[in-house]
Amino acid sequence: MFRKALVALPVALALGATAHAEKAPEEVLQGLIDSIDSRYLTQSEMNIMMMPDNPALWVGMDGEDLFHTARGPNNVSMEACDFGKGPGVLEGAYVEMPRYFEDTGRVMDLETRIVHCMTEVQGFAADDPAVRQRHGSGSDHMKIQTYIAMQSNGMEWNNPLDHPLEKAMRDAGQVLFARRAGMSDFNCYACHGQSGKQVRASVLPNANVPEEWTKAISWPAHRVGHDNVRSSQHRVRGCYYQMRQPGMLAGSDASIALISYWTDMARGQPAILPDMKR
Amino acid sequence: MFKKTPLAAGIAAVATIIFAGGCAVADAGKSGKVDYTAMTPHELAEYLIFEANGGGFNLAQEMQEGGTARERMQQDELQKACSIIGDGKPDAETLAAVRQAATESITYPEGGIQLGDWERGRVLAWSGFGYRVGHNYDDHNVREVGGTCYNCHQFATDRVGGNVGPSLTGYGKTRGTSEPILKYVYDMIYNPHTYFPCTHMPRFGSSGFLDEQSIADIMAYMFDPESPVNE
Repeated sequence: MFRKALVALPVALALGATAHAEKAPEEVLQGLIDSIDSRYLTQSEMNIMMMPDNPALWVGMDGEDLFHTARGPNNVSMEACDFGKGPGVLEGAYVEMPRYFEDTGRVMDLETRIVHCMTEVQGFAADDPAVRQRHGSGSDHMKIQTYIAMQSNGMEWNNPLDHPLEKAMRDAGQVLFARRAGMSDFNCYACHGQSGKQVRASVLPNANVPEEWTKAISWPAHRVGHDNVRSSQHRVRGCYYQMRQPGMLAGSDASIALISYWTDMARGQPAILPDMKR
Repeated sequence: MFKKTPLAAGIAAVATIIFAGGCAVADAGKSGKVDYTAMTPHELAEYLIFEANGGGFNLAQEMQEGGTARERMQQDELQKACSIIGDGKPDAETLAAVRQAATESITYPEGGIQLGDWERGRVLAWSGFGYRVGHNYDDHNVREVGGTCYNCHQFATDRVGGNVGPSLTGYGKTRGTSEPILKYVYDMIYNPHTYFPCTHMPRFGSSGFLDEQSIADIMAYMFDPESPVNE
């Protein structure tokens, strides 16, 4: 613990130089805890205490290196990639995703946009491990996602709905959120429609309470129980798995529609990036 | 009435839209030549699940109950009726139809409702195994299907249960084991929409999730005086 704290201080300082948020992730969370009475936000004192030493901070640091290094067959860095605010501009980019991208004609979430950048700009083959391996703190994806997302820490979720496709995807996501199917007849409300409810020992976030929901969708987050940093797409996959519905394909328009809606549900609330979850 | 709707109808509806709106979509990119903005949100959601780029789910995967993921994603009448944006309830007429269909779906064991082995029921009530698919498929040949009951309910307090549903601690001790209460609990497990139309609780009997013996054993866990639920 003491050793970790010693390492954490310079890390926090180094990240502070690039991350533009005024508050650390734990301070963003504390602001939410102070604003609302929520069992969900306060359920793990241990996690709150550990947030300054969040392992995701290191994963994000690795991502910073990867992002700015020339890679792939085309030997270019990701600075050439547009995440919605112009090539290489990351500040506040993630809280405004998913969004419509002119160059693909698609609404894309962060993970899908990173895939696009790796394959179309850097020239990686779609089956290259850098592109294919989506999960785990050791994956390029999680490192890069975490780094990019951290540049939106403390900023308000605000995915644009100006383009007709952005609106259509968000609205379809709302239908998906409510859509019951499978062996258990579950939809997302089964777990996320009420406050203070728990499945076994875990207190669940209520999608109707934006102050809770912003933490729920603040991915990447270090999942303590998995001992890995996890993504939004990983959460979506886990939810459908527990609902006894088939595996949603990462990067599918269905997954992006759902993420568009869940981001909209947290609109105006500050993102906790990276977060730490049970 | 409450059967799977043939997918063909849904596809036909979507196809009509595709052809009607086909010209204005040159920039739809990898989404194909389909104009998402010409569909209603409901049509688009169905299209994204079943059609877009081959479907948004791993639809070809084989399911434990037979058939494929494509079939499991299709909604029956109850699932359609109870899928309400904002999680509200459908109108009274629809609720009455859901309730009636649920009542009609319930079948009872020959010789009436029996309590089984509470010790096995305790294992099943705790187990969250069964019918999960996708990246970590539940192989029912390796382990038996559990009831996932503790996910939402508290039973014996030596283990932590959820509170999405009501606590069932001391259930048999406080309710007794009369015929009406046994029928009520059997019905609730088999198809709870008969009492609470559009509840979030699964239909463990009607769906085939639990078999007759498992329901009897889980009920024993709730009612048997020896069960730790009734300590």
